[in-house]
Parts: sequence; C-alpha cells; structure tokens
Amino acid sequence: MTSESKVNGFTRRGFIGLAGAAAASTLLAACSAGGGSSSSGTKPIKFWNMPWGAPTAFPQEDKAIVAAYKPKSGLPAVSYQQIQWANFTQTFTTAVAANTNPSVSSGGGTTAFLFEKEGKIHYADDVINKVWASNGIKDDFLPGLLDTMKTKNGYAAVPYNLDMRLYWYNKQLMDKAGASLPTDWDSFEAACKALKKIGVFGYGTYSGAGAFTGGHTLVAHMINNGGGLFDKDQNVNVVTDQNIQAMEWVLGLVKNGYVDPRSATYTSANAYSQMNAGAFGMIWDGAGTPANVNANVASQLVVGDPLVGPSGQKGALYFPNNIFMFKNSPSIAGSEAFLNYYYQNMKTLWTKKTGIGLPPLKSIAQAAYADDPSATKIIDTWQPISKTWGAPGSNTVFYNVTKVDGTQPMIAFAQSILGGNTTAKDALTTLQKALESA
Amino acid sequence: MTATNAVEGLKRARRGVGVAGRGPATPSPRGRQGRTTLGRSWGTLTAFALPSLILLVLLNLFPVIYAFLQSLQNGTPSTLPWEADFVGLQNYVTVLTSPQFWQAAEFTLVFTIVGVFGSWIVGLGLALLLRTRIPANTVFKVLLLLPWIVPIVVSSTAWNWLVATPQSPLPVLFSWFGLDNVNFLGDPLLAQILVCVFKVWISFPFMMMMMSAALASVDTNVYEAARVDGANSWQTFTGITLPMISRSTYIAWILMTIFCVNDFPTIFLLTQGGPVNATTTLIVLAYQYAFQNLQTGIGTAIAFIMTAVLVLISVVLYRQIKKVNIE
Repeated sequence: MTSESKVNGFTRRGFIGLAGAAAASTLLAACSAGGGSSSSGTKPIKFWNMPWGAPTAFPQEDKAIVAAYKPKSGLPAVSYQQIQWANFTQTFTTAVAANTNPSVSSGGGTTAFLFEKEGKIHYADDVINKVWASNGIKDDFLPGLLDTMKTKNGYAAVPYNLDMRLYWYNKQLMDKAGASLPTDWDSFEAACKALKKIGVFGYGTYSGAGAFTGGHTLVAHMINNGGGLFDKDQNVNVVTDQNIQAMEWVLGLVKNGYVDPRSATYTSANAYSQMNAGAFGMIWDGAGTPANVNANVASQLVVGDPLVGPSGQKGALYFPNNIFMFKNSPSIAGSEAFLNYYYQNMKTLWTKKTGIGLPPLKSIAQAAYADDPSATKIIDTWQPISKTWGAPGSNTVFYNVTKVDGTQPMIAFAQSILGGNTTAKDALTTLQKALESA
Repeated sequence: MTATNAVEGLKRARRGVGVAGRGPATPSPRGRQGRTTLGRSWGTLTAFALPSLILLVLLNLFPVIYAFLQSLQNGTPSTLPWEADFVGLQNYVTVLTSPQFWQAAEFTLVFTIVGVFGSWIVGLGLALLLRTRIPANTVFKVLLLLPWIVPIVVSSTAWNWLVATPQSPLPVLFSWFGLDNVNFLGDPLLAQILVCVFKVWISFPFMMMMMSAALASVDTNVYEAARVDGANSWQTFTGITLPMISRSTYIAWILMTIFCVNDFPTIFLLTQGGPVNATTTLIVLAYQYAFQNLQTGIGTAIAFIMTAVLVLISVVLYRQIKKVNIE
C-alpha cells in the first residue's frame, strides 16, 4: 500500500494533477484573452460604465438596457460593471496593465485618449462609417459632435453624453436687484454690480477639493474671447492676449467683490449651499445644476444667454463624455455589435430622467426635452458655440488634454485667479510652465 | 532496559550501529529509515514554506522592485516596464530640482512636526487626566476615541462644514468677535494651520492610547518614593513619568512620523493640496504626478525619496530607543 493520504476520495497525487490542470487552463484562458482576436462568442465581453446619473435610477436603467441585449449567433453576451468615480483613472490603468480591461467602456472625458496614445484602443470607424451611416445614427449626432472624437488614426471614441459650462441666474434675485439680463461681458458685470447691492454674489463658482468647475469656467471665458489652452499643433499655449484679457476680466470681478472670496476652495456642496442660501445670484456650472439645489431655488433658475465677448465672439467649453472600445477584447465583433445595440437603445436613460448629462443624439434630445425649455435652450444655443479643451487650435479631444482636465496645475491656476492675489499674465505664465513640465 | 541503556540505544540507532557485542557495526534498516525521514522532512518543510516565501516575495519585494523600475522610466500608470523608456535618474533630478517638491517637502516637515508633537502633547495630557479620578471616566475615554474611529471621509466632510462657508459655525463664531470674512480654506496660511489642527485632532486618540498603556506600566511605588522625597508634580512628571515612558514615546513618535508623512486622505479630502498648492505634501504631490499628470516615474521617484527620509528618521529614533534600553 502506498503512503499517499486519501481524504474524501481525493488522493494527493490526484489533487496535484487537478490543480495543475486548473492552472494550465487559467493560463490558456489568460493567453487567449490577451490575443484580442478571438470571436468564439463563448466568453462574455465586459461593459464598464461610470455612474453618470442619479445613484439608483441611472444604474438600474442602464443595467436593464444591457440585460436586454441578445447577441446575434456567434457573438458573446455582455456583462455589466459600474465603476465609481473615486480614483477611476487608477481603476482603468490598473486593469489595462493587467489585461483585465473591459471590451467596451465609458470613462472620464479624456480616458479614451490616454489609452489611444498607448495603442490600446480599437477605433470606432467601422461602427460609425458602416453601421451608423446606414442605420441613421451617424447623422443623428448633434452638429460637430462626432468629429471631436477623431484623431489622426481614427475615431478613438464616440460621444455618449455632454457636460458644458454655462451660467444660470436666479430670476427672483435678479428681479429683486433690478438687474438686466446679461448679454455680454459688460452687462454681466453690471448685473453683478446690481446683485452686490443686495448682498448677493453675481459670479458663483467653486474650485475646492474635488471640484474642477472653477478651472473649466475660466477656460470657457478664454474660449469666449477667442482664446483657449492649445494651439493648432495641440501644444499648450496659454499666455495669449485673448487669455490675458479674459483673466483680467475675472480678476476685476474678484476685486470688485462680485465673487465670493471663498469660491476658490468651495466644494460643489459648498457652492450649492450658497445657492440655497440665496448668496449666489448667478452660477457658472453644468447643465444639471437645478438637480443639485433645493426645489424652491431650482424653480427660480434660468439658463442665461451665451455672452458676446469683447472680440465680438461667442464661445464656451464643453465636454463630450464618450464610450470607447479596447483592442484587448474576447471579441471585437462582439464589442462593435454591442456598441451599436447600446446606442440604439440608450434613449430611456434620458426619457426616464435618470440624471445623465445631455444626450449626444438629436432624436433623444427631442424626445426627452419637449417640455424642458432650459435643456432645449442649452442644446440649441450653448452646444453649437461650445468647443472642446482643444480650442482655439482645434475642436477635438486628444492626449495632451489629460494634462489640463482636473489636474493640479489647472486647480492651482483657478485658485490663484479666484483668490485674486495675482495678475493675469503671472497666473497664465505659471500655468504654462506647469503644463509644459507635466 | 535501564534508562542509560535506553539512551545509548537511541544514540546507536541514530548512528545506525547495532547493539554492542552483537556482531559488526552494520547500518540498520532503522538508520536508513532515519535518513529517509530527515530527507522527507526537509522536502515537506520546503513544500510548506515555499508558497509563503513566494507570496512574501510577490507581495513585498516585487512591488518595490517594480516601483523602483518605474521611477527610472517615463511611463504612465498603465505602461508596462518593457513598454516605457528608461531615463535613469532623470526623474530624481527633475524632482529634486523642482521648487514644487521643496515647497511640498517644507510643508510635509511642518505637518509632521505639528502632527507628531501636537498629538503627543494632547494625547499625553489626556492620558494623564484619565488616570485621575474623574466622573464618567469610561464615557470620556470612548468619546475621546471618536476622532480616531470615525472614517476620515466623514470627519473631513464635517470639518469642511465647520469652516467652509460664511454660514459655517466657525466663521460665524469669529464674526461675533469682529473677525469677519476669515477664510479658513482660502487663505494659504490659515489652510495650513487648519490641516495641521485637523491632523492633531484625528491623531491624538492614538497617542492617548499609547501613552495610557505606557503610564499603566509605571510602578506606582516610584511615585510614592518621589513624594516621600518631596518632589512636586512638575518634578515628578519630568523626572519620573517622562523618562519611564520614554521608550513608548519614541515608538509612538516613529509610528506617528510614518503616519503623518504618508497621510494622503487628510490633505486630499480637506483641501486637495490647495489653495494654490499651499497644503500639498509629498504624498499628495506623488499622487498628483502619478495619477493626475500621469507621470508615474516622477510620482514613484518622490515616493522613494520619501521612503529614504522615513527610514533615516526611523533609524535615528530607533537608536534613541536602544539608548533608553541600555540606560
């Protein structure tokens, strides 16, 4: 008799053999996942989405859309995973480094372009030019939107939802102050002056922990004045006459007391509590602002008109958040098929008011905002004049944008301008140096 | 068989020798079996230890080597070592010649000194207080532990609420004393002070526990003797209490130094390093480089410089502990 121990019918040798087989099959599976060309259709592909809307309503509806997906014969099923915003860059980069990335995903507004530079992205050209050109989705995108995703190698991503920087005014407070509705920079300043007389700040913003809106808004003013952060070669170029003039305007608003001195370090919660307290007569923020304040204040909020800048131009900053595909996928055909399915069926995320940003498709905007004048006005008047971070050189998103989107140099820049203890040229020069070394 | 015989027998058996006077000394089957058992033991030992060793290497050594490699490259967080360019010590040069690094290093030093000694003074004071007979002693102990127990996300939000807006309690309190518009988070100096005070507030319970344990180990007879010799309270404290708890104090200082230098959430959640980088510490700067600027090489280079400094501080303090032991 051998000395092998035998427990519950398993011999030690048998166990080792079984473990070896398991390890070998895991290894083989890992190798096949890394190949990226398999289209066996047996292994589900992963779809990751960010929590774009209300904590319960959005993921519930989003999951339901994905769950209803019935892949065509030979194509894989799809598994759903929501990724939290906290440290999402680490989540993505770690997954990519470990080859455990999703096949299809949304992310931050620039996530796709980070991975595009590293050669990890599967371009969406086939979906856009073959599938969507024939089923009408390509022509359904808002004007110019699809092109913001185009790199020299192809479409790195497709627009999914939009966020933009515009201003809302509190009608009640404006009436109380006797302020006229702003149409240009001078009349905006005049409205701020009137609001100050009743103890209200005209220029509401926030740039504290976790809040990037202050920096976004400053760039929006630069674009409004024909400026921006990048030249036509997509290199950082911020010390320009247009930008200096725009920042001098904001510094003037700060010095005149039209900006809450604490704005530089307000979180979004702080800013909305100021809105609720009636301390902000106007606020530069996103399209979803009314959802963040109490019902009484929300009922008084109206979207302002885009301002005409000193150079006679209109302009603002917007963020085409997007969905992209990775090369590393069990089935590229499966990724493309799912992407097409998702875009054909994602309308309910907006029509059921799950709180996601503005839709990228005209048909969804029409269906969702028939009774919402604010959202309609944003789509009709702000979206066409808005540009991406690439302004003034281009109207696209690209890798260098990752240097300015929510980064410390931009936060420090915004805090220095909103703090008021600098000059426009000094602040812009510091920003230029910081971005060059980033 | 006598006991002596039994021992001898065992010795012989181990040597593989037969019973004396009963023939030539030939290796016995038992002897062969003994060697085989020993061989199996080593094999078994290796088999059991190997997984742990592999895990140790994978969990501890590999990440350090991997991170060090990254600090010599110019990759992003998702770049694999063989995909990034090797730049040698360039990242270290970049870091050490950057004014931002030295600004962060300076604030890290201030934050650490205030964090360590502030929490130690408060913790020791409360530990001494809790040794006296005060009513509801246990309730106080539990309440005093709260800042340490509460998740930092909650406490940082609470502190933000306390100071951020004009309607917040502290600005309102200050305005009662004629100090209007005190901007706790917007003014660089006030923000630095606030972050340090917050650190002391969340850390003192740890120090209080360490010091309470140290004080409990001091023999009360020593105090009796000091009292008989006519020592006053201050003399007793400086001449007896402090020296008697010095070993625990040094250990607490080492731990708190490491906690302060490596403290990311306190700063990040409350100020995110602002305003205008005023409260950026080295760990926050490393994060910003690695995950906001996507310059992993520079981020990890900062982390390695921090580690070297921490090791140096720990060695100095550890030597103090050894001195205390010798004395």
